[in-house]
Amino acid sequence: MLDFIVSFLSNPAFIVGLVVFLGLIALRESFSNVLKGTIKAIIGFLILQGGVTILINGLVPFSNLFTAVFHLNGIVAEDNSLAAAVQPMLGTQTAYIMVFSFLINLLLARITKFKYIFLTGHMMFSFAAEMAIVLDIMGANVWQAILIGSVVEGVSMVLFPAFSQPFVRKVTGSDDIAFGFWGSSWISIWGWIGGKISSIFGKSGSSEEIEVPETLSFFKDMSIMMSIVMLLVYLVTAIFAKPSDLQQVIGGKSPFLTLILDALTFVAGILILLQGVRMFLAELIPSFKGIADKLIPNAKPALDVPVFYSYAPNAVTLGFLAAVIGGLIVTFMGKFLPVTVLPSVIGLFFMGGAAGVWGNAYGGKRGAIIGGFLLGFTWMLLVALAYPLADVTRYGVKGLWFATPDSIIVTIIMRLAGLLFGIPIK
Amino acid sequence: MKLKVIGVCGMGLGTSLLLLSEVESIARKYGVEIEGEVVDLGSVRGKTCDVIISSSEIAKELKDLKIPIIEIKNMLDKREIEAKVKEFIESIRKS
Repeated sequence: MLDFIVSFLSNPAFIVGLVVFLGLIALRESFSNVLKGTIKAIIGFLILQGGVTILINGLVPFSNLFTAVFHLNGIVAEDNSLAAAVQPMLGTQTAYIMVFSFLINLLLARITKFKYIFLTGHMMFSFAAEMAIVLDIMGANVWQAILIGSVVEGVSMVLFPAFSQPFVRKVTGSDDIAFGFWGSSWISIWGWIGGKISSIFGKSGSSEEIEVPETLSFFKDMSIMMSIVMLLVYLVTAIFAKPSDLQQVIGGKSPFLTLILDALTFVAGILILLQGVRMFLAELIPSFKGIADKLIPNAKPALDVPVFYSYAPNAVTLGFLAAVIGGLIVTFMGKFLPVTVLPSVIGLFFMGGAAGVWGNAYGGKRGAIIGGFLLGFTWMLLVALAYPLADVTRYGVKGLWFATPDSIIVTIIMRLAGLLFGIPIK
Repeated sequence: MKLKVIGVCGMGLGTSLLLLSEVESIARKYGVEIEGEVVDLGSVRGKTCDVIISSSEIAKELKDLKIPIIEIKNMLDKREIEAKVKEFIESIRKS
């Protein structure tokens, strides 16, 4: 019996199901809603794990080819995929860190002047997984990881929104909501710097006064955007490959066709795992929100990045395109860096776009472009330089790494703190 | 009355869920039951529902669908969301 309870409480799918179950009961939902929500949350978690298996099938052959061709390691910075990939090993810690960090967030919002409630669920999940990774690498056992990880994440959930709040006030002209996204600090800093640099060159009109062609809007559909970029990255690598390498690493009748399918399989895997994330978040977040609304009435919800796009939609486009250029420079610098960071579309779009909005608020359309460019460049550089701090290949994960700057900053601080306790960074 | 509502955003993870939970709490006030789902922009095609809610940026990409869309200009403006959701509920009640 005890064995059963322990395995039940250490299975991430059941933990998430149990939390949703308790949350829905606390909100006095009907029996059928409780049952539906709980089952959906558990299935969502299983879909997530299925998706990542597919994604890895599409990524690993390419990753091997990239290494064979360029003698470099290539990674895509994508948090949700990385988080999903380590669930079989670190799922218990991840699920508990996610839940307890939320409770710590509630407590801090209740007793301190930081009234922020972090409500971006997929970010809570990926941050929890990344804390589990870092703490596991640093030698913590499951319980230590849950304890330390929850405190670190819970504190981050109020500190990062607090840091970006002055910028949010400037961009939105209001103080009602906060920025709950693990790129908030990086977006705020580089968007602000971009705007200030732009001001040196004199005044620049707002991005919203210009016409951005409608044809440029296709990239709002992430599946299309990721497919195009992954196809390009895979095929460019194939062009540089020796036929013998292609045959050996990729194999099949037509290695080119196999690669095209692999690139699309990678995207298919991401879409499936996001569907899983979506299913368990759709049950989890409303109950988190309901509980927070009841306990902390004057809270400021910290929300996902796209809520800011409506303040300057054109700046989102400018910032994103500029971020891609900035990011590509880092990709081509791969030889001189610990790892080659392949263009990571999701981060470049969501953060580059926001840096555009920030840059526009501080320095017009030129600010949006400079802000986006600086974000793309510095972000991918940060990923490349911090890469040695967390070796995820020990979990059998190849070609993926941390994406969000805030979680990387926290990782750097934790590894430095580890040095004080004699835990070496190797 | 029961309505099936789909929230749409770029990834179907953040803002769509936020909009949907706003719709749910507004609908409760007006005695409407909501069956909700969130999806990303790429997956919304082929779904059926009574109404979609999204930001006006995302709504631009959905104009060809034959489903009514509640477009929200400023997702941080609760009054805008409430006014538009209320308007939609009233229009359904009349028809």
